[in-house]
Amino acid sequence: MKGNRLSTIRVSVFFAILLCLAAPSCTQKYAGHYKELEYPKLGDVQIPEVRRVTLDNGMRLFLLEDHELPLIRVSARIRVGSIYEPADKIGLAAITGTVMRTGGTTSKTGDEIDEELEAIAASVETGIGLNSGSASMSVLKEDVDTGLSILADVLMNPAFRENKIQLAKILHRSAISRRNDNVGSIAYREYQKLIYGPDSVYARHTEYATIGNISRDDLVAFHTRYYHPNNVMLGIWGDFDTKQMIKKIEEAFEGWKKVDVQPPTVPEVRYEYRSTVNVIRKDDVNQSNIYLGHIGGLRNDPDYFALIVMNRVLGSSFTGRLFKNVRSRKGLAYSVRGNYSANYGFPGVFYVGCQTKSQSTVYAIRAMTEEVRKMTEAEVTDEELALAKESYLNSFVFNFDTKGEIVGRLMTYEYFGYPADFLQKTKENIEKVTKADVLRVAREHLRPDDVQIIAVGRPQDFDEPLSVLGPLREIDITIPVPGK
Amino acid sequence: MRHAMRESRTVLNCVALVLFAVAVLAPKPAEAQDLAEFEERLTEFTLDNGLKFLVLERHEAPVVSFHTYADVGSVDEVKGITGLAHLFEHMAFKGTKTLGTKNYQAEVEAMARMDETFEAIKAEQRKGDRADKARLAELQKQLKEAQEEAQEYLVHDEFEEVYVREGGAGFNAYTSRDATQYIVSLPSNKTVLWMSMESERFLDPVLREFYKEKDVVMEERRLSTESRPVGRLLEEFLAIAYKAHPYGEPIVGHMSDLKTMTRAEAEAFFGKYYGPSNLMVAIVGDVNPDRMRTWAQKYFDRVPGGPKPDPVETVEPPQLGERRVVVDDPSQPFVLIGYHKPSINHSDNAVFDAITDTIGVGRTSRLYKSLVKEKKIAIVATGFPGLPGNKYPGLFLFYAVPARGHSNQECQEAIDVEIERLKTELVSPAELDKAKTRSRASLIRQLASNPGLASQLTFYEVVTGDWRNLFRQLDQIEQVTAEDIQRVAREYFVRKNRTVGVIETTAAEN
Repeated sequence: MKGNRLSTIRVSVFFAILLCLAAPSCTQKYAGHYKELEYPKLGDVQIPEVRRVTLDNGMRLFLLEDHELPLIRVSARIRVGSIYEPADKIGLAAITGTVMRTGGTTSKTGDEIDEELEAIAASVETGIGLNSGSASMSVLKEDVDTGLSILADVLMNPAFRENKIQLAKILHRSAISRRNDNVGSIAYREYQKLIYGPDSVYARHTEYATIGNISRDDLVAFHTRYYHPNNVMLGIWGDFDTKQMIKKIEEAFEGWKKVDVQPPTVPEVRYEYRSTVNVIRKDDVNQSNIYLGHIGGLRNDPDYFALIVMNRVLGSSFTGRLFKNVRSRKGLAYSVRGNYSANYGFPGVFYVGCQTKSQSTVYAIRAMTEEVRKMTEAEVTDEELALAKESYLNSFVFNFDTKGEIVGRLMTYEYFGYPADFLQKTKENIEKVTKADVLRVAREHLRPDDVQIIAVGRPQDFDEPLSVLGPLREIDITIPVPGK
Repeated sequence: MRHAMRESRTVLNCVALVLFAVAVLAPKPAEAQDLAEFEERLTEFTLDNGLKFLVLERHEAPVVSFHTYADVGSVDEVKGITGLAHLFEHMAFKGTKTLGTKNYQAEVEAMARMDETFEAIKAEQRKGDRADKARLAELQKQLKEAQEEAQEYLVHDEFEEVYVREGGAGFNAYTSRDATQYIVSLPSNKTVLWMSMESERFLDPVLREFYKEKDVVMEERRLSTESRPVGRLLEEFLAIAYKAHPYGEPIVGHMSDLKTMTRAEAEAFFGKYYGPSNLMVAIVGDVNPDRMRTWAQKYFDRVPGGPKPDPVETVEPPQLGERRVVVDDPSQPFVLIGYHKPSINHSDNAVFDAITDTIGVGRTSRLYKSLVKEKKIAIVATGFPGLPGNKYPGLFLFYAVPARGHSNQECQEAIDVEIERLKTELVSPAELDKAKTRSRASLIRQLASNPGLASQLTFYEVVTGDWRNLFRQLDQIEQVTAEDIQRVAREYFVRKNRTVGVIETTAAEN
């Protein structure tokens, strides 16, 4: 194929010269079509070795030197999460994560830390998400000691001052009061609840009542339970010497002792496939926000690699079928996307979604469902398979273009119990995926007849009533106010 | 933007702009070295047709980022064609005579029929109530048939496909009021692909699927403006902040203009604004500058030159008094306050940047401290320059998101207190030092990203006339004094010069 391309270039150049000679008005030089291009082999990608060290207290370090700029950054992962908070105190993990930093430490107020850090253009932040806690630091090289000591202090000795707990609660209550202002976030939130169940740790959300139930004692207890060095992974990259940095970290975290941590068991996701049709009324919009799909999977599923290829064909990029057919060909949406999501720690969701004018809502739902169905009915074409695989493989180098992502990826793999070479394995497996594999995993994992549909918008303006798709349920998103 | 939200339209992006503004501020004498070091790695050249290239070597990884900055934005539109700069951005992904088509000759005939039919539909619709409904239906049918025929010849989204196949990352474009920018990163062995694709894109674009793409853009308008409370407010707000200058018009355009726009109008816009003298390219990454020059000549010399189009000459007259718009909306309150200010090239620009840092960046900033931390009346409160644009006189914008149970009025009064403080008290040396230190650090942090650098270099080169201003801004902020801040606050932050926009909640909400 490459040989053919070369000869095409020669022939084309020859004709181009001929044409230019023949026509004196021809001033454009011939430069070649992209199909005739030849590329040199990509230079070797230098994948730097991350130094992994476990300290005596069990804290795991991932270090990578990067001397391009005088900067040092830290990104930590702590085994904690909102999945571990009690159902009547939703928001506890998030507020703990925030106030660890804003509420200061036993020796400094949060405001003092703000002043100290901002004066040197540095940052230290903490947070707790769904199934992982985070902490970060970013400093100019010369300020690394200050940065590390503050980082260690907020992780080890947070004071949880009451005034900052109140501030965090105001933010949460305000966010609750605003959560129905944006159609996109309503659709996403309610779709998650449809798939995982409204009370699932993976979909539930704060209410005024759950925020009201949270006390300072809860924050202290939550922190005490999970924040121990053996429960922490620390990634550090930037302009330092590894040996010296390990010493600095040991000093900063001195006195932090190992304690056995037993997180509570989280109920497994048990999904029952079903088809449902759901609507949420939002009168002030002229466009419907739509999601449809069902449960997704896990990355350690051997089908994951073929599913990556399937996702690319269906629509996780602008070359997918959804983009082509729903956006470019039908002009139905600005944004249309679909993905069989595989998470590291718990099943993801499979979704297809778009925003389309109210008057094309049902039409768009049908068009998107049809694309899902087609994935399960016939093999993808040779061109689609090649495009999906080549795009993955050719862009592989972008997995290594920043030091932060190299460190972060390694930590993620270890946190969730994946092998350190999982990315390399993924690449090797994707190279092997065939059309038959894609069809097989599509049939195995996609259920176009068992999708749950949600549309947020003005049903009175829809092209057809949503009930043509099945029994219709209206979801009430009124925000519950205690005492009302 | 073609694939995500456009620049400078969302509150989040406003925050990004704050960071940006801080980044371009200033350093200490040491930074002169950075500039010197940069000058060694940076190669500039201009082709005979006027197209200028900036090539910055950065060999950290075998990747390269490309940034094409077209010095045309929605500010260059006139009434009736609002949204055209952005629509053209979408059309710049539709291919050429040889890319995106199986049979250009047949396709071009179908497109011509489409255009004629579209004009006929418009003519009939202009008759209003007297329009012939049957004829309209027939014409609509013909348009649909011509579209379907043209689609037969298409190779859908081939332009995207080529980049995606070859490993492109971050492939996108965005339109602001000032500019239209096209970006992609590639493995560095594919550099010549960009040369071929980007040169053909601006040599020979074919505006195929024009009428379908208008539908896509109308969906984008519904998404970003009509169905989003803050989108609705921002459009109303800018419309009253400007009565003469086109900065008051929405980037995405008015719905009626989008509906009636023709392909001929888009082609004329391209002809006027997409000549090489109006484009600027930055290439940052693992490349050899000599080879870049050779390839640039081979591929881009083909693009015919022409004069650089005139800038906007309309000047916004001074306001005669405060302007105010209230959006009655079911969503929660929100307040925006804008003061007219000069363009980025004015000598007070660094002073505005210092003000931004002092009042608007981080937990120690004055607005956060007062409204969020102490008074607890807002969950966000900040101020920054850069909207609606930088090239022409824009606004210094303050905004606050009131906390639950608190009003726009309370927030506006608290912001006013902070503005008065700027006028009556000198900022402390510590605050000024902090602004200078953070500017220096932010700049350093930006130097680690190929696409970020490519974006900055083109911006400074086009909008301020020299990419070196990315660094020189640092010297300028270094010279800002507390007295400068007071003078600027007194001069610009006056009631007569401001526009206030609020969302007031209509229905009883929880």
